Amino acid sequence: MAAGLFELGQVFAVLAISGALALRIGLSVIPLYVVGGMLAGPFVAGRFGLPHVPESEMLTILAEVGIVLLLFFLGLEFSLDRLLAARSRITRAGVVDAAINLPLGIALGLALGWSIVEALLLGGIVYISSSAIITKTLIDLGWIANDEADPILGTLVFEDLFIAIYLAIVASLVLGGTSAGLNGLGRSLAIAFGFLGALLLAVQYGTAFFSRVLDVADTESFVLRVLGVVVPIAGFALSIGVSEAVAAFFVGMGFSTSGHRERIERQLTSVRDVFAAVFFFWIGVGTDPRLLVGVAVPLAAAVLLTTPAKLLSGYVGGRVYDLSEHRALRVGIGLVPRGEFSLVIAALAAGGSTTVMQETIPALAVGYVLVMSVFGTLLMQRSDAVESVLARFLPLGTDA
Amino acid sequence: MTVYESDLPGVGKKHEIDLPDGTQLVVVTHNDGRREVFLRETSDSDSEKLFELPDDLARQIGTILEGAYFQPVQSQNIETLLGGDTLLEWVEVDADSPIVGQTLGESDLRAETGASVVAIERGQDVIPSPGGDTTIEAGDTLVVVGTRANCADFESRVTSA
Repeated sequence: MAAGLFELGQVFAVLAISGALALRIGLSVIPLYVVGGMLAGPFVAGRFGLPHVPESEMLTILAEVGIVLLLFFLGLEFSLDRLLAARSRITRAGVVDAAINLPLGIALGLALGWSIVEALLLGGIVYISSSAIITKTLIDLGWIANDEADPILGTLVFEDLFIAIYLAIVASLVLGGTSAGLNGLGRSLAIAFGFLGALLLAVQYGTAFFSRVLDVADTESFVLRVLGVVVPIAGFALSIGVSEAVAAFFVGMGFSTSGHRERIERQLTSVRDVFAAVFFFWIGVGTDPRLLVGVAVPLAAAVLLTTPAKLLSGYVGGRVYDLSEHRALRVGIGLVPRGEFSLVIAALAAGGSTTVMQETIPALAVGYVLVMSVFGTLLMQRSDAVESVLARFLPLGTDA
Repeated sequence: MTVYESDLPGVGKKHEIDLPDGTQLVVVTHNDGRREVFLRETSDSDSEKLFELPDDLARQIGTILEGAYFQPVQSQNIETLLGGDTLLEWVEVDADSPIVGQTLGESDLRAETGASVVAIERGQDVIPSPGGDTTIEAGDTLVVVGTRANCADFESRVTSA
């Protein structure tokens, strides 16, 4: 008991310090939470014989709640109507983004000699931009009021929907497929889509139910009822081999139409942020910095290939929105940071059965997110310099 | 005037307003109620942040801009709307006014009109809260509080010869 409480205390103390540092140097909290976890975990503090936070079941469960709430909020913000309203442009910008970045990651994985599933995991990790980091930086830089905000946020919405479907498929491939052969794979996919389909129907026709469940004035009851619906459904999904993240995403979609969306956002954002911070910490705890050295070459390749690819896909996406070249380029720059979802995919990969999935991919993803979250934010902050450098090499027009 | 509205997923809503001088005002309303207000010199320049307001303050300032919270009323006399239908009005007493030479008590204006005199401006001086025994002189300006109807009644009695 006492040991567990002390460990949890260490987790929050390290997170608080990391957060303070992030505020001070103007960087996203995500890389600093991960590094904080790495330093306080068994591979750094533990190795030097200092009191450290072990990879415990308690930490894993709290981190899981973080994943669930991250995806729940994604579903909450995700409105099918909104997507349909802007579908042609969002879809075109989103499709360009997916068509360039996902295959690039898969190709890189295959080039490393990995299996298709492993390469697919890498594809997702390098494809999906960080909604959390990008949205915050857009607000910090004031880009939120500019025209580039629309294609950037639109592309993030498309990615969010894509990631829900992607996670549903990949989770069954990783969790159910490899052990039981093709038959098992078919069965686990069937279970996944059967369950998610049922959940989707419940969401579609259960608006009245969701509204009634949340119809309570008391704040404490309200927060508990939201958690009391989301977490058990996500947990049940995981217990039958379905992605808990996707289940949470669908429940979020259900709640978004209940008329309580704004209240949930107001009252549960801090709850989500606390558990998400623990999730990033947990990722750090499970990362041996020596493994990062081992993946240095593929990491460098991923950074060098995927940064220009995002710049390109974002630029094309911006042009689809009829933006000037100058603003379209900013869309590209604005989509470079990767973060939470790449780590969610890495956490999923770690549950796989091969060494690549258990060690290489998580280490690569952590290194990749550390680099891309910091590098991407810096690119956004110094976008003028980036543009002038690019203008020297590329025949950019002057209609900016 | 054209107002463009767009959703900012995960952030809130954005309104862009074309101003007569060709600039654009951009209001970003965050989901937490915070408002950020930006100005854009031309439609392609970067938005410059003017200020940021929390929800309650934004609403209050909004009603002031709207003219609902406080409104100077145009009329030939100076008057100020205090809220509800209550006015603060300045009424000049000229030489042929029937109340010149009377005390406030004798004029009995408060009982008759419902509006009361809260101050008298006499040249450079101001007599605050004048009592019933204060004599009204030609050239005084009476500062009167009452409903719009009270004040109108008061004014007509003071000016009618």
